[in-house]
Amino acid sequence: MNAIDAPLLEVRGIVKRYGGLVAIDHVDLQLWPGTITGVIGPNGAGKSTLIGLIGGAVPPSEGTIRLDGRDVSRLPASERARAGIGRTYQIPRPFLDMTVEENLEVAQYSIEPFIRASLAREQRAVLLARTGLADVARLPARALPLLRRKRLEIARALALKPRIILLDEVGAGLVDNEITELIALIRSIADPRSAIVIVEHVLRVVRECCERSMVLNFGKKLIEGPTAEIFANDQVAAVYLGTGGVREPAGRGPPTEAAAAQNVVHVMGPAAERRVMSPLIAPTAAEGAGAPLLELEGICAGYGQARVLRGVDLTIGEGQVIAILGANGAGKTTLARVISGAIVPTSGVLRIAGEDVLGQPPHSIARLGIAHCMEGRRIFSTLSVQENLLVAARNADASAAGERLGAVYDLFPVLAERRDHGGTSMSGGQQQMLAIGRALMARPRLIIFDEISLGLAPVIMDKLYEALAVLKQAGMTLIIIEQDVDRALALADHAYVLEHGVFGLSGPPSKIAADPRLRHIYIGTAD
Amino acid sequence: MKTHSGLAEVGVLCGAFVLLWFAPVIADDYALQIAFRVLIYLSLAESWNLLAGSAGLVSLGTSCFVGLGAYVAFGLLNSLDMPLPLVLVCCALAGGALAALVSPALFRLRGLYFTVGTLALAELLRLTMVNVSAFGGASGIFLRQDPPPLPELFHYALVVALIASLSITACARTRVSVILRAVRDDEDAAAQMGVRPYRVKLGAFVLASALCAIAGGVQATKLGAIEPYGMFGLQWSIDVLAMVIIGGVGLRLGPLVGALLVVALGEALADYPEAHIAIAGVILIVLIRFAPRGVVGVVASLSSMMRRRAPA
Repeated sequence: MNAIDAPLLEVRGIVKRYGGLVAIDHVDLQLWPGTITGVIGPNGAGKSTLIGLIGGAVPPSEGTIRLDGRDVSRLPASERARAGIGRTYQIPRPFLDMTVEENLEVAQYSIEPFIRASLAREQRAVLLARTGLADVARLPARALPLLRRKRLEIARALALKPRIILLDEVGAGLVDNEITELIALIRSIADPRSAIVIVEHVLRVVRECCERSMVLNFGKKLIEGPTAEIFANDQVAAVYLGTGGVREPAGRGPPTEAAAAQNVVHVMGPAAERRVMSPLIAPTAAEGAGAPLLELEGICAGYGQARVLRGVDLTIGEGQVIAILGANGAGKTTLARVISGAIVPTSGVLRIAGEDVLGQPPHSIARLGIAHCMEGRRIFSTLSVQENLLVAARNADASAAGERLGAVYDLFPVLAERRDHGGTSMSGGQQQMLAIGRALMARPRLIIFDEISLGLAPVIMDKLYEALAVLKQAGMTLIIIEQDVDRALALADHAYVLEHGVFGLSGPPSKIAADPRLRHIYIGTAD
Repeated sequence: MKTHSGLAEVGVLCGAFVLLWFAPVIADDYALQIAFRVLIYLSLAESWNLLAGSAGLVSLGTSCFVGLGAYVAFGLLNSLDMPLPLVLVCCALAGGALAALVSPALFRLRGLYFTVGTLALAELLRLTMVNVSAFGGASGIFLRQDPPPLPELFHYALVVALIASLSITACARTRVSVILRAVRDDEDAAAQMGVRPYRVKLGAFVLASALCAIAGGVQATKLGAIEPYGMFGLQWSIDVLAMVIIGGVGLRLGPLVGALLVVALGEALADYPEAHIAIAGVILIVLIRFAPRGVVGVVASLSSMMRRRAPA
């Protein structure tokens, strides 16, 4: 870094207030050409707000942002994009009815309206090849799955030929070998004249891409420095990393006040758990004794032409916790949707407590005691936290619903504090707690958790998994679909690995964790 | 590829223009009257389709610009005795200028609020005309000179329709089209791509308003007398909306098919005005419920279904 050079982007004393809430509180940040900077922090720390402030989507309350010495802090998003700030959205926002290629044209033609068509086409081809979208260039963006939409977000940002690139959680939901690809992509974007900011919960991306990192907590900069030092910092471990950063089973430092105050779950003995959680645990059905709770035989399912599941067999007994692992596209979510009745399999047998339920609609299956905590949370934004919970218990009488509410609030005290807030006004982690609580309110016999840790800070993932441990202690039957292999295997009694629509591997967690094939599926072969 | 189909479209439009130019030679007065009405409606519907279908601005202010064009045309013809082509250029300028003038207020409103804003604007202008006696008040204004003969008026309407269609082709077949659709689909994401949503919407609004004002000027010249309730009446806005919905919102042929159908329906039921409105209403409800992409949308999906079935 040359000391004479001015930083490419200089954020000074930036503040964003929403009414009384201070989302970003006097944050300073300097970006130098040729650098990649990581921004990490708990959910609700203000990371996406910071991206919005730099990108121009969010007008600042105070402070300045200078790009190349020019104050851009009062410019609208369009002018900042033209000045060379490109961003991605955490939840991709492609123009759904346009083709992938047209999505890039928007950026190209807005900054260079009179660019030669052949030149523009060449540039698009390069961008699409680089981001791995060349094969879908002519498809409408609507047809792309989430991960490809994220790539399109990156491609669109790059089409602006930006000097500052803001990447907001582009790694969420990817498995290890996809993350390896993403890291390679980010490194290939890096350019000595531009600077990249990465907001990310997937710590590997930050660790391997960013020389420097900054930790945000409650809208303030907690610490900034070389990434290795940040990851070794005790304070950072307490507010953010939890066990997710450095895995040392016994080596967790004493919790700080902040962490202790947020600590929501206390694991007690099995008997105590069963008592406190009893309003949420369905009684074992007498007529179902003997028959397993859930049985799948030779299930095949898919969407239109695409066959996703090709003969899945699965048997789950009362009180079992099973983990379903596998790469993206292996069919994990499809399997969950088959069990909850959202997809009707093309062939196979689906039995709940001995009863054949193949082809029954989701609400009938839900009535048999299957709850589905869906990927993406699906919180009702117009309802308060408490209303969101009560919606799921509308078949119960008032006193039973009240008891269940009490048990959910015991599990997640933070929901009790926020009971009158809007369902989607909370941080991502709290919304996930609400989604789990809502699934519990129906007093199900089995809950499917689909990617509950997606996009959450490691410390929040710890809390969610502590809550799942409480449910397991209390005797609930759980299916856990998860990218975070370590956490899922730590909790499960039995694990299955989906590979191309069939279970390629299954067994007790200790055996699965040690199996080289799991490593192969997740990390890819060395060559 | 895009440019080629665009050029082909321009060719078809110009060909149709040349053919229709000679229509007065063979067509009788009745046919010319009908054709005149279709052309005026087509111009209005094209401009509305540009706003709603491409830029996502659903306007109920068509009547506002039709009325403005009519009053500007009469004012210039009566007081300055300007030649009609020049008068119509002034109508376009006035329509565009009014659109630009009100856009800072209207574009603060998004979605439904924009729609209500345009409706309010039309009412505001109508009430102004009713209450200001210099503009003729509630009884309106007469044209001092004789209106041009019908074939000549037909030619004016034909030119206006050509200008409207070519403008829309220019917007739909060039790189402007991706920019417009980007603003329509997600204004914030478009801004993040460097698109200036305000300017894009302003451009579309000014163009569409100018086209409405010219059409209004031609229509008023044919009538020979105008009054505020007719020229600023909500009927213009509703008719145009109905035409584009019946034809197909956002589809290139939607306005043409819609204008033809609405005029044909009006003629078929000319003797039963109440039944006309009722039947038009039922058609609208049925289409919105079962074919939200209009008649052109239905035909397009039917033909693609046939094509898919044919090779199998």
